[in-house]
Amino acid sequence: MQDVVNQVINTSFGWGWPSWAIALIGYLIVAALLFGIAPFQMLFLTLYERRAIARMQDRIGPNRVGPEGMFQPLADGVKIFTKEDIVPTAADQWVHFIAPCVVVAPTMFMFAVLPWGPGMVPVDMNLGLLFFFAISSVSAVGLMMAGWASSNKFALVGAMRAVAQMVSYEIPAVLSLLAIVLVTGSLSIVELINYQGGLFISTRDVASVPDWGLGWFIFSPVGFLAFIAFFIAALAEGERTPFDIPEADSEIVAGYMTEYSGMKFGLFYLAQYVLNFLLCAITSIIFFGGWQGPGVGWLYAQAITPVNPQGGWVFNVLAGVLGVFYFLTKTYGFFFVMVWIRGAYARLRIDQLMDFGWKFLIPLTLVNIFSAAIWVGLTKWGAADGLAFVEGWSPLVRWAAAFGVTLALNLGAYLFLARIFAQSQDERARQDDDVLEQLTNVA
Amino acid sequence: MALILLRRPYGWEPMDLLIQIIFGLLAALIIGAAMMVVTVRNVIHAALWLIASFFAVAALYLTLEAEFIAIVQVLVYVGAISILILFAIMLTRSSEGERLLTKHWWAAALISLGLFGAVLLPTLIGHTWNIPLPTGPVDAPETLSGVEDIGRGFVNEFVIHFEVAGILLTVALIGAIVIAFEERSRRRRVLTLSEEHILRQRQQATAERVSAVADAAD
Amino acid sequence: MTTETQHGSVIVMDRRRGKLRAGQGLLQGLRVVWDHWAGSFRKNDNFSKIHGTFTVEYPEERLPMPQAYRNMPVLLFDDESGHELCTGCYQCQRICPPQVIHITQAKDPVTGKMVPAATEFIIEYDACMSCGFCAEVCPFDSIKMDHVYELSTANRASLTMRKAQLNRSISYYTGIAPGLWAEVQAGAMKKLQGSIKRRPDVIGLAASLTEKIKARRLELAAAAAAAPAAAAVSAPAAPAAPAAKLTPEEKAAKLAAMKAANANKGAAPAPAEAPVALSPADAKAAKLAAIKAANANKGAAPAPAEAPVALSPADAKAAKLAAIKAANAAKQAEAAPVSVETAVATAPLDAKAARLAAIKAANAAKLAAEQGNNE
Repeated sequence: MQDVVNQVINTSFGWGWPSWAIALIGYLIVAALLFGIAPFQMLFLTLYERRAIARMQDRIGPNRVGPEGMFQPLADGVKIFTKEDIVPTAADQWVHFIAPCVVVAPTMFMFAVLPWGPGMVPVDMNLGLLFFFAISSVSAVGLMMAGWASSNKFALVGAMRAVAQMVSYEIPAVLSLLAIVLVTGSLSIVELINYQGGLFISTRDVASVPDWGLGWFIFSPVGFLAFIAFFIAALAEGERTPFDIPEADSEIVAGYMTEYSGMKFGLFYLAQYVLNFLLCAITSIIFFGGWQGPGVGWLYAQAITPVNPQGGWVFNVLAGVLGVFYFLTKTYGFFFVMVWIRGAYARLRIDQLMDFGWKFLIPLTLVNIFSAAIWVGLTKWGAADGLAFVEGWSPLVRWAAAFGVTLALNLGAYLFLARIFAQSQDERARQDDDVLEQLTNVA
Repeated sequence: MALILLRRPYGWEPMDLLIQIIFGLLAALIIGAAMMVVTVRNVIHAALWLIASFFAVAALYLTLEAEFIAIVQVLVYVGAISILILFAIMLTRSSEGERLLTKHWWAAALISLGLFGAVLLPTLIGHTWNIPLPTGPVDAPETLSGVEDIGRGFVNEFVIHFEVAGILLTVALIGAIVIAFEERSRRRRVLTLSEEHILRQRQQATAERVSAVADAAD
Repeated sequence: MTTETQHGSVIVMDRRRGKLRAGQGLLQGLRVVWDHWAGSFRKNDNFSKIHGTFTVEYPEERLPMPQAYRNMPVLLFDDESGHELCTGCYQCQRICPPQVIHITQAKDPVTGKMVPAATEFIIEYDACMSCGFCAEVCPFDSIKMDHVYELSTANRASLTMRKAQLNRSISYYTGIAPGLWAEVQAGAMKKLQGSIKRRPDVIGLAASLTEKIKARRLELAAAAAAAPAAAAVSAPAAPAAPAAKLTPEEKAAKLAAMKAANANKGAAPAPAEAPVALSPADAKAAKLAAIKAANANKGAAPAPAEAPVALSPADAKAAKLAAIKAANAAKQAEAAPVSVETAVATAPLDAKAARLAAIKAANAAKLAAEQGNNE
């Protein structure tokens, strides 16, 4: 963005503005664009979700306002804006007021490191991935504030649940990402995407593989297990069914949002959908290559980049459009999967949620980190790192060996843990039965 | 780790001014929030001010280009520690407290000021003021990668500390999982509705059996 | 898999139960939802399958209402004659639980007597609960339950329906509930004919049918013109004259005519079985004659009291003829049961009564004729 602004102001108009002003203008434009896009596409995500879930339930969904219900979200928006804003007298006015902002702000922050296409990232941060998850954990504070300030028991219980859930599912999410970070050796999201060129096998693992932009992590056993664990954790993080315990409307009204109305409620809603979008986006970036896809890499190689200043700007546009298309397709695909899961599963109980997170996902991700270490060792290390026996193998053989070993390890771990988990569940049921039996005999 | 460098990416004076203004604002926020933490009467509010202070400190790290530290500050302090504090406060006691001041509060103030001075004074005395700022165009800024430097430090110089901390954390994690696997019957818990229903059915069945046996005895 | 039972087909889902590996159940759940999603792009219209959308997109498509669906009562009128079926009997008003029906009985403008029609009929739709009691209780099948359900309005007062708004033609009702109307049609139409006879002027005509009303007025004018005697007199018009008390004889004549009609009715089934039978046409003729006789008597009745020469000779003749015809019919009716051994026991009695009635009628008619002649 900055080079474009620089081009326009300093080269076309010849005003010779200082670089800090160029930087400021560039960042402001990007920020304004993102702040426009985020709520707008959130509106249409709600429509998307409603239509999709309706079809899964053999209904049609909202299709009255505009063609195919296109303007339904706008109508909803108008409604929510015109609603009265009610603050309970018993509420802590200021905290009640600030809480929605604290919830929304981090989700907007997270857009800062999200790459939309090749070379289209607001800030190419070295620690993008870490930033993303660090910032996402801030919204827990906002939820806590909302729950506490409402001075409502449902709200407080909802906030407690939300925070407990977010804190416990951050661990498997981060642990599963740790495996990927081990493999790529970088925390930069852009680097993560660049790693995923290739065809089934990443070009970074085996250099001779043609770069079709399909060397996604999902195709390796490490990445696959990490994907499953991460997506489940993302569902919990985004408070999606079956992990929508914090706002379980049949139990605690609307959780921490109970005492909010009007646009403050709308802000929570916005934060939730934007967070869901971001989680889908990050899933598609980490495991499905983000904008990587057939053709994008080649187009971008012809474009004007710092590496290749002699490119054609047409290729910039083409690569950008194709890259954004791939990225959004994958992202909305994952949002569809979220809706699909919502259509399929019932809500978990809080103890089932904790059981699943702590007893199944975390051990599984721990094993996965081990697999990732093996993968890195078998594909990258040599005699210098103390792994002399792989030295003579060709890259493809090394990749195959890594694939086989990690596949066996992950599959074995999955089956073993699933059995242990099932046994513990059975055991628990048996013990519950025993408790009842004892109570029966006492009476 | 050259964290303290006020790097000037574009070699332009207003950038320095901007960063100094931001620094001033952040410092004011940190100090103000910290003051609020100790003066505000509502404990929850105090915790929230503390979070604000943590966040401002993270921003301060960012101005120092210590991205990793800043992000870890957010992740650990804002995302985890503060939540822990909030949980602890909410689960333990009522949030409004009396302001408790001893008669000898001035003694406490004096002692803490003295200790602070004891730390600060040598620094102030030994400091050389007015270091001339580097002039002229800045050469290509050295690549700063906080993570890599920290990582190298961990596996070279501080490998023992790192290993010990790593083992401790893993043990804590596994311990948490083991505790989660603890037998349920040891815990007291409330029966769910369905369990109560089953219990009632069983009790009825038992009662009927007993009465049937009694009838047979007659 | 569907299983046919005597109540219809029962769909049994194959839940693919069996030995499940870890996580397989979750995938099966996803599969089920996917099938529904993939199947939802076509419409499921016969409800025998579980896939496909079931949505009826309401304003564009509507489900056909069952005949017995009921929402809001309406009043029926006959398309051909334009007469309303309602007689203003107040049955619906009495039974209405929320008491939203208000009726004003029609009165003859001349005599001030009740006429079997309602001048005003109000139903407060806003308070009506569509229980259908009024339609249930209506002896003339005049009030029926409509099928409309889009009554929302911004103005509550517009839901107070007057008679003009409540009127629906019978053809409309047969459109929405043909079966229900077929059940009651014969009785209702017969009762309507009875009511029409007792409705003077244009009372009881649906107000919206202006042509019908016009035609009826013309008819009435023609009828009035056809009575020159009445026109000749100083009195404005015969029907406008104040009603006089019926003489006992006239009363008797009327009664007799009715009885004769009844007798014929009673006798009618008999000939159907009998070898020597009264043809239906004859019976009809007899009935008609009796009615005519009665009418003639009615027409004659006010005349003697008011006008000196009221009854035209032609009328008197007709009355006489009618009486004779009635008598003949009665006689025939009497003959019928005798010839049939299987006739019911009550038949002779009826026949006797009929004969008596016929004679009385004849006498009365004769008397009336004589009176008319004398005058």
